[in-house]
Amino acid sequence: MCGIVGFLDKSGNRQAAVGQTLLDMLSALDRRGPDSSGVAVYADRGVDACVLRIKLGEHGPFETLADVVVERVKSLVSVSTVDLQGPSLRLVVTPPESPESLERAIEAVDSSIEVVSLGSRLELVKQVGSPANLEATYAVSSYVGTHGIGHTRMSTESRVDLSHSQPFWAHGRADVAVVHNGHITNYHKMRRIYEQQGHRFYTGNDSEIIGLYLADRMAQGASFADALQTSLTDFDGAFSYLAASADSLGYVKDPFAFKPLVVTDTPAYVAIATEEQALRSALGDDFPVWEPGVNTVMTWTVEDGVDS
Amino acid sequence: MKDIDCTGKTSRVINQEIRHHIQAGETEIHVQHPQARHNLGVAVLQQVSLTMSGSVGYYCGGLIDGPRIEVQGSCGWGLAESMLNGTVIVNQNAGNSAAASIRGGTVVVRGSASSRAGIAMKGGTMIVQGNSGYMTGFMMQKGTIIVCGDTAEALGDSMYEGRIFVGGRIADLGNDAVIEEVTNQDQEFLATTLAQYNIAAPASFQKIVSGRRLWQFDKKDFDTWREAL
Repeated sequence: MCGIVGFLDKSGNRQAAVGQTLLDMLSALDRRGPDSSGVAVYADRGVDACVLRIKLGEHGPFETLADVVVERVKSLVSVSTVDLQGPSLRLVVTPPESPESLERAIEAVDSSIEVVSLGSRLELVKQVGSPANLEATYAVSSYVGTHGIGHTRMSTESRVDLSHSQPFWAHGRADVAVVHNGHITNYHKMRRIYEQQGHRFYTGNDSEIIGLYLADRMAQGASFADALQTSLTDFDGAFSYLAASADSLGYVKDPFAFKPLVVTDTPAYVAIATEEQALRSALGDDFPVWEPGVNTVMTWTVEDGVDS
Repeated sequence: MKDIDCTGKTSRVINQEIRHHIQAGETEIHVQHPQARHNLGVAVLQQVSLTMSGSVGYYCGGLIDGPRIEVQGSCGWGLAESMLNGTVIVNQNAGNSAAASIRGGTVVVRGSASSRAGIAMKGGTMIVQGNSGYMTGFMMQKGTIIVCGDTAEALGDSMYEGRIFVGGRIADLGNDAVIEEVTNQDQEFLATTLAQYNIAAPASFQKIVSGRRLWQFDKKDFDTWREAL
């Protein structure tokens, strides 16, 4: 199972209630999997800054480790905000020249450390537990922005912990994140190829490879939309997934239509969810929905509809 | 006429209320604010009229025998699954596997149907006013599918029996699905059936039936089978 949701405001409002909408949609789907939940919300803050979310480990205390990490980050970029919440450290820093080297420097501090997200517009929070718990910890409903994606998980093959929760940030690629429902059945084969190229894997979750694949394709020059398109032939299995970048949202639907997904595209917004219930309970009854056809990809940007 | 407001209720409670009203002799029930809940109106065995004043989720009208169900919005997976008899009408789009395994009755989708519409049908009729998705009529065994618009890939894949009429373009035929000539009798059936639901008939139809080559295993067909599985 698993439930995935996505929302993009097309009205030009840079402060849309994206967090509240994602939370409403996820709450309607939490029975599809209450193991863990998370959201990635994108906002144009109008400042040249980068948000880092770092997982310090599974078991505390984390204060001392947090101090070491902050010192390490300070040696590389300027840090304007430090916020420690349980195992999750949030830093606002000046944009690094290479997100990848910053990530490696931080993770070299201790093997328990994972950079969960990095981006100029991306705020990514996730944890073990239901969407209601996520709201209690992070007040997701207060997050405003342009677009976002969310996930509620029923684990089938890998562990239940913060690292295995979704959304997955595409390590090394600022602002790209993914939520997935299904199975990537050529995961082990692809993983071996990536590992030989020196990529690090943080989980035993097949969904993790989607973000890595997109980051890799985009590093080779593919656009966000092109990377989504080629994933249709490069991945095997039954999958519906949503991906987001600093200014885009898109879905990918497998060649067999084994995993559900419904979409609505109105002049004001695009909303996508595993089940129609999510759209109805978050956004009302006044729009049509459809199921994407097999083997299809569609992307939208926050500029869509703004000038039209 | 009785109204049931779904607000704050589970599907189980709503279905119990539907049953309760039918037992009390009610023949017309309006289900308000269904908000795409699953399993609404399942296993209703009386000739009553149920109106869903919005969208419904999975398996709406499953296992029914007799009622007329109208869904004023769209529906999720498995619409009217394994229906024995009755009429289920959806005014907007239908999700995956509409009319799955129905044995009789009629399913009408006024919008478009998604993948595997009419999968394993064992009788009855499914009408899609718009387009129909991937593998429409997959493994159907009996009954009739009428699609007024276009159909996606693998139409009628591995169908055993039954017939599919398509008014628009066919992306491609599935394994062992073949085109047959539309007879005068077929024309009459199409005209009468569509008129019954006020659906304007397309200018012409193509008829798809089983080529029956997959009924028995033939070593020469190994490649076809491999693709079918």
